[in-house]
Amino acid sequence: MNSAALSMLWTAAVETLTMVGAATVLAVLGGLPLGILLAATAPGGILEKPWLNRILGTVVNLGRSIPFIILMVAIIPFTRSIVGTSIGTTAAIIPLTVAAIPFMARLVEGSLREVDPGVVEAAHSMGAAPGEIIWKVLLPEALPGLVLAITVTAVNLVGYSAMAGAIGGGGLGDLAIRYGYQRFRGDVMLQTIVILVLLVQGMQMLGDKIANRLYHRN
Amino acid sequence: MKPGNHCLSERCQFQLNPRFREMRGEANLFRFLDRNHLFFRRRGFFIQGCGNLIRLQNLTKTFAGKDEVRALTGISLEIPAGQIYGIIGPSGAGKSTLLRCINMLERPDSGEVWVADTLMNGLGPQELRSARKKMGMIFQHFNLLNSRTVSGNIAFPLELAGTDKRVMRRRVEELAELVGLTDKLQAYPHQLSGGQKQRVGIARALATEPTVLLCDEPTSALDPETTSSVLELLQDINEKLQLTIVLVTHEMAVIQEVCHSVAVLEDGRLKEAGPVVEVFTRPKSEAAQRLLQGFLSARFEVSRQSPDGTLIRLTFLEERANQPIISKLIRSHQVDVNILFGRIDQMKGAPFGTLMVELAGPPEQKAAAMEFLEANGVGVEVMER
Repeated sequence: MNSAALSMLWTAAVETLTMVGAATVLAVLGGLPLGILLAATAPGGILEKPWLNRILGTVVNLGRSIPFIILMVAIIPFTRSIVGTSIGTTAAIIPLTVAAIPFMARLVEGSLREVDPGVVEAAHSMGAAPGEIIWKVLLPEALPGLVLAITVTAVNLVGYSAMAGAIGGGGLGDLAIRYGYQRFRGDVMLQTIVILVLLVQGMQMLGDKIANRLYHRN
Repeated sequence: MKPGNHCLSERCQFQLNPRFREMRGEANLFRFLDRNHLFFRRRGFFIQGCGNLIRLQNLTKTFAGKDEVRALTGISLEIPAGQIYGIIGPSGAGKSTLLRCINMLERPDSGEVWVADTLMNGLGPQELRSARKKMGMIFQHFNLLNSRTVSGNIAFPLELAGTDKRVMRRRVEELAELVGLTDKLQAYPHQLSGGQKQRVGIARALATEPTVLLCDEPTSALDPETTSSVLELLQDINEKLQLTIVLVTHEMAVIQEVCHSVAVLEDGRLKEAGPVVEVFTRPKSEAAQRLLQGFLSARFEVSRQSPDGTLIRLTFLEERANQPIISKLIRSHQVDVNILFGRIDQMKGAPFGTLMVELAGPPEQKAAAMEFLEANGVGVEVMER
C-alpha cells in the first residue's frame, strides 16, 4: 500500500468518524427528549396525553419511513439553510441527524417503557412530581438500555454515512464505491470493509461494556 | 397447654405470660403498667390517639375497559390511629385498590377519603404530593430502584423532600439501623435477599417520618421464615414509632400475627370489620367464615367418633371463659362430652382457646347444652351433626 492510498483511507476514515460522531451527538440531543415525550405522553405514561402522543408518533413514523438516500436529497433546501451548503461532509451531518432522531426516539421510548411500573408507582407514592420521576427514576433506571440505544444508533449511522457520497459527503463508504467498485480496485474495497467492520465492532464492544457496568440487575 | 384443658381462665393467661406474676409483689401499679407498657398495648389495653386516623366514606371504584370491573362498592371504613389494621380477602376482592385509594394512587369514582383532617380526593396535584410525603408505602415486589444502592434508595424520598445532605446521611444511617441493614448500605438491590429488599422498602417508606404506613401484600413474595421476621419488624415499628399501619394480605396467618383490627373484603364489598379477636372467634359474615375455615381446618383435622354424635367447635374468649364451663355442662345436662382437640392460639399476643368436642345424647339435650354454652359466652359452631 502506497502512501497516497493510505492517506486517502485515512481522510475517508476521518470523514466517516466526523459524520457519525456529530450526527450521533445531535441525534441524542434531539432523540432523547423526543423519546421521553413519546414515553411520557403514551397511554399509561406519567403525563398521559393521547392526542400529543398520536401526533408525535405520526411524525416519527414519517421520518422513519423515508429511505435515507431520498431523505438526504429531499431536504437539501433545509440543509442549505442551516450549514450554507448542500455538499460536503458537514452538509451530510444534517440529513444523517434528521434520519437518526426518530430512530433514536423510538429506541429511547422503548427503554423507558421497560422500566418497572411498580418503581414508578413507588415514586408516585412518595410524592414525586412528573419531572422528578423522569430525572430520578425513569432515566437512571433505563440508563443501560439508553447506552445500548445510542450504540445502535451510532452503528446505524455508519451504514447511512456510506450513502453520503451522493451529496459529496465523502467517507469510507464513498471511497469503497468510487475506487473499489467504479475503478475495480478490489484492494481498496477490502481495506474499507475491514476498517468499517473494525469500527462497528469497536463501537458495539464499547457500548456493551458501558451498559454492563451500569446494569445493576441479575 | 395440652388438649383437653378446656377452661381458659384468668390464671391460665398469667401462666402463659410470666410477666404478669410480678404484679402480686408490685406495690406500685403505675410502675408495673409502665414497665409492661408494650405488653398491654399489644393487647389493645390502650390504643394510641383514640381517634380515627383514616376515614373512608362510601368509596366506589369501577375500572373501565372491555368488561367493566366493579372494584369497590360503597366501602366505608374507619381506621384508628396507632393500630395495625388488616385488610383481607380473596384475590380480586379489591383489597389493593382500596389501599391505593388511601394515597390516591387510585382515584375513587365517588366517596370520600379522609386522612387525619385532609380530604385526599379534594387535593390538587401539588397538595397531593405534599400529602403523600407524609404517607409511606411498601409493596409486594418491593419496587426498589435497581440503579441505586440501599443507601440511595432510603435517601430517595428525602431527596424528593429537599432534605439537607448532612441530615440525610444521618437519617439514612438511623433507618438502616432500625431495619438492621447497616452493613448493606453500599449494596445494590440485586445483591439482597427478598427479606432484605423488603427491609429497604420499609426504611425508605419511613424516611420522611410518615403518619401512616400502607403495606400492599408485604410478605406475599417471601418465604415463611422471612415473613415472620418482616412482620416482627412491622410490629416493632408500630410500637416504637406509634405508627398506624394499614396492611393488605390474603393470608389469615398474617392478620392473626400482627393486626389489631381487620376488615374482610369480598367482591369489592366490605363484609365485616372489627377487632381481630372478635372476627376470628365470632365471624358474622360468610366471607369471614370461609376465610377462617380454610385457615383453621388446616390446623386440626377432627372427625366424629360415634355416628349419633354432634361435632361442635367452642371458642373461648379470654375475659368470658373463667369458669369451669364444661364440667358444669356435664352436671346440668344429660349429655356426654368427648373432647377431641383443644388448643390455645396467640392472637397478636392475646390468647384465645379453641376446643373441638363431640356431644352425645338425646337431641333436645344437645340443643339445650349448646344454648347453655352460648349463654355462658362461649362461641359455638356446629361442624358435623
